[in-house]
Amino acid sequence: MDFEWTEEQDAFRTKIRGFLAANLPDDWEKFSEHGPASPALTAFAREFCVKLAEVGLLFPHWPKELGGEGLGPWEQQILSEEMWIAGEPRGGQYMNVNWIGPTLDKYGTEEQKARYLAPITEGKSLWCQGFSEPDAGSDLASLRTRAVLTDGNYVINGQKIWTSYAGLADTCFLLTRTSDDRKKGITILLVPMDTPGITVRQIPSLIGEGDIHEVFFDDVTVPEGARFGEEGQAWEIIAYSLRNERLGIPRFTLARAALDRAVAMLRDAGDFTREYVRIEAARCAALCEAAGTANYAVVQRRVDGLVIGAESSSARYATVMAERAVCEFVAEFLPEALAGASPYLKMHHQRGIVAGIAAGSAEIQLNIIASEVLELPREPR
Amino acid sequence: MLLSLNEDQTQILDFIDSLARPYAGVPMHDVSLALTSAELDAALVENGFLDVMAVEELGPVTAALVIEKLARLPFAIEAAASAMVRPLIDPELPRPLCLVEEGQTRKPLRFLKPGASVVMVGPSGVRSFTATAEMIGAAQEDTLYGYPVAFLTALPEAMTAHDAEPAEVLRAWRVAIAAEAAGLLGAALASTVIYVSERKQFGRPLATFQGMRHRLAEDQVMTNTAYWLALRAAGTGDAGDAALALLHAQDAAKRVCYDFHQFLGGMGITLEHPLHLWTYRLKLLSAELGGRGGQGLAAAEAIWG
Repeated sequence: MDFEWTEEQDAFRTKIRGFLAANLPDDWEKFSEHGPASPALTAFAREFCVKLAEVGLLFPHWPKELGGEGLGPWEQQILSEEMWIAGEPRGGQYMNVNWIGPTLDKYGTEEQKARYLAPITEGKSLWCQGFSEPDAGSDLASLRTRAVLTDGNYVINGQKIWTSYAGLADTCFLLTRTSDDRKKGITILLVPMDTPGITVRQIPSLIGEGDIHEVFFDDVTVPEGARFGEEGQAWEIIAYSLRNERLGIPRFTLARAALDRAVAMLRDAGDFTREYVRIEAARCAALCEAAGTANYAVVQRRVDGLVIGAESSSARYATVMAERAVCEFVAEFLPEALAGASPYLKMHHQRGIVAGIAAGSAEIQLNIIASEVLELPREPR
Repeated sequence: MLLSLNEDQTQILDFIDSLARPYAGVPMHDVSLALTSAELDAALVENGFLDVMAVEELGPVTAALVIEKLARLPFAIEAAASAMVRPLIDPELPRPLCLVEEGQTRKPLRFLKPGASVVMVGPSGVRSFTATAEMIGAAQEDTLYGYPVAFLTALPEAMTAHDAEPAEVLRAWRVAIAAEAAGLLGAALASTVIYVSERKQFGRPLATFQGMRHRLAEDQVMTNTAYWLALRAAGTGDAGDAALALLHAQDAAKRVCYDFHQFLGGMGITLEHPLHLWTYRLKLLSAELGGRGGQGLAAAEAIWG
């Protein structure tokens, strides 16, 4: 075991930091208060990601045959950490390089790869994830958005909700129901968002402008070739993707950076001499580092070529605990930070409050840990 | 960054497993509050398991792994101080080692007995002496802790001063206790999981009730991260990492000791079930070095000054 980064990994991190320093505007911190899915940040990301692609930092962890540098999971982790600490200047494009691209490569047809991979690698495309529905949140398998195959076309009717990036995305990675056979009746369609019949409505939220949406599908028609994988294969594919997605956002690094920032502000205010503040700050740091090590243990599994299983749920829950602790610490000891004194801490707070909700709720992670890590007998259904 | 065990580490842990197999179960009808075994202790010493830290290719992470592994046994073994702190002071100090903070001699000391090395750490430096019967007051016979404990009733007129940095000894001490706590947490969790998976109420195993599943899952998250933070602290040798690791382990201990006994219901308050052999050791470790507040202050000082 070795808990230090190698020289190459340190150099890689330095390279990313150098790029960020050179390519983020001076008012970036204030600017990044716009959520990752906001029109402003999305527009910024479309230029920023093109530059990242030019210097080989958009998808360096992809294999060389896909145009990547063939760097490993640790480098992907470092890249994600540095981007997320910086307020995620890639906006929604982080999803492209973390899981949409690799999933396209693994399950896509040649036509789909040809159509969608290039814009991803050029830093020019934005995807949204059409998963949750009004009656299918944590119980995702009860989704009802129907796709009916007629004369070589799928006709889609239904509604999605909480869809991040929907307002500006080019393509939707859409889960539809093609038969009533619960998990086995779900099929993925890749749907261009400008297809007639799609209506997107933004939902004002605590996490910032443009982040979550309702998406309505009224007789939306796409060719059969838009189907991703086989009919009924969606559950297998998203299980694969979500394992990547759960690790995708290294929230614990931003939580830790926010904590350090909060401590600096408290020190300036003369309040970091109070023992109860110092102890609570340390408890937050412990939870951030705890989440970090749990996440790293999962990254190591990826490095070793092992299946990523329920450990990722445990790591995710550790991250939720860290996010919650830091959000509460700031609210308790630095209320001014959320009212204008620190754009960075406000940005963290807005992103932190969804840690236990997005990408599978915290309670679902606990269910998975109970069944698959602790191997407790299953609940009756 | 490399978080998998190397071949040496896997071998050592496997070897400990086979050596400790006769001690992995609780002796039938044993109703004692603490279990110890001189034979097991001697076997560990003889095979050099408490001296791995000084071996170059093994080092502190392996020492932490050994401590964690041994803590999972129902038997209390003085491994933490010997394996991780003793090498920094004097590798020849006679065991068991009893670590005590200067000015905190009122507290029960684990493994204290005549012939033990008492190591006192504090502003006056790192000093030690060999305990004699006259300096030791027995704890009450049915003390609850899963360790043999006793009190220091007197200090010798002179102690041996060691050429070791108190801060560095404190750091290693924190890592050692964090690693021991991690093993105790893991074993207590495993023991609880077995019970609630078998025990039926309302016609189904207790473990099928979500009220319990979610708390157990949270306990798994705390237990898993306590393990990783302890190993990381051993690996980096950083004072802040050490304080965070013990803080987190003590936080976890507070939470799970309550949960696990709660989940076992009446069985959890008997001596028939071995759970207490891990949780009541954790309770004493949660008092180590000022508890969570002590670790919190130490961590804050190390991280932010």
